[in-house]
Amino acid sequence: MEKLQLIINSIRKGKNLPELEDITPEMNLRSDLEFTSFDLAELTVKIEDEFDVDIFEDGLVNTIGEIIVKLGK
Amino acid sequence: MSKNILVTGCSRGVGLEICRVLLREGYNVYGIARSYTDEFKVLEQEYIGHLFFKSIDLADSGGVRKSVFKEFVTNDILLDGYVNNAAVAYDDIVTNLNIDRLKAMYEVNVFTPMVITKYAIRNMLLHKTRGSIVHISSISVHTGYKGLAMYASSKGAIEAFSKDTAREWGQLGIRSNVVVPGFMATAMSASLTEEQRAKIYARTSLKAATNVGSVAETVAFLLSDKACSITGQNVYVDNGTI
Ligand SMILES: NC(=O)c1ccc[n+]([C@@H]2O[C@H](COP(=O)([O-])OP(=O)(O)OC[C@H]3O[C@@H](n4cnc5c(N)ncnc54)[C@H](OP(=O)(O)O)[C@@H]3O)[C@@H](O)[C@H]2O)c1
Repeated sequence: MEKLQLIINSIRKGKNLPELEDITPEMNLRSDLEFTSFDLAELTVKIEDEFDVDIFEDGLVNTIGEIIVKLGK
Repeated sequence: MSKNILVTGCSRGVGLEICRVLLREGYNVYGIARSYTDEFKVLEQEYIGHLFFKSIDLADSGGVRKSVFKEFVTNDILLDGYVNNAAVAYDDIVTNLNIDRLKAMYEVNVFTPMVITKYAIRNMLLHKTRGSIVHISSISVHTGYKGLAMYASSKGAIEAFSKDTAREWGQLGIRSNVVVPGFMATAMSASLTEEQRAKIYARTSLKAATNVGSVAETVAFLLSDKACSITGQNVYVDNGTI
């Protein structure tokens, strides 16, 4: 969760958005985090680099909770 | 620091020449082919520490994530460019089309290059690299030749893929272009008869085989910052085929 938060904040920082103090499972990647498809691509590669899991490989992921489930598998 | 370029089909012909030109210009080259040839080894001796090789069968599009990107060009290597040069030609007239042979060609010429592009862009995204992708197509896409309909269709697919990749990733500074060579005297065209060759060359303005070095130099140019405003293009290196 902590590493995921760091990754998310690194992307938000690149977009000049304020860093998040907390992330919660129900947060939506697009509406709450304000991620575009390019930001989501960056998120995917950073998560893959850190956890060796490709979160978008089998279908769309919409929330932080869904990412956590994929990482826990 | 030297820039890193992935080149497929490095064992002979155009791919080997591309490696030679890139090494001369100071790049590090990661080459892939099935065979580890003597010509390639000579180049490796000349450029120790700058030229790397892995034997991979690119007919396995499902395997390249692991074989190429987990075991060879890993995320620790900042990838600046990808040259999609490896290809096979399945020549026959359309009425003889064999679906298994067609699918096998599409694996090497289309599906694997698309998957490699996916992971090359991911590497560029991770490192925020303004990378350059160059695909090798063929003049047969633009000028019809008997027996090349299936082969040309695979190259046409790659040209379309490149154009749309350029549009999609341009905002991140990633470029994608195509070099369209005319007929060259390499292993791929070795089975042509003298008469067939003469006919092909007669359709070019310069009346000769396309120079492999000129194709390789064009690839190197498109990879370089000199081409920083060129993307989504097809560059014809074909002796002026008409
Ligand atoms: N020759 C022409 O007249 C002509 C004209 C227009 C365009 N082109 C294009 O130019 C490019 C280079 O062609 P070329 O003339 O240099 O042909 P080539 O001499 O036949 O070389 C093809 C290269 O691709 C590699 N390759 C083929 N199948 C592979 C596989 N399954 N896995 C890994 N590597 C594979 C070969 O290495 P291994 O066999 O060692 O695997 C070799 O290094 C191709 O994209 C071709 O379509 C050629």
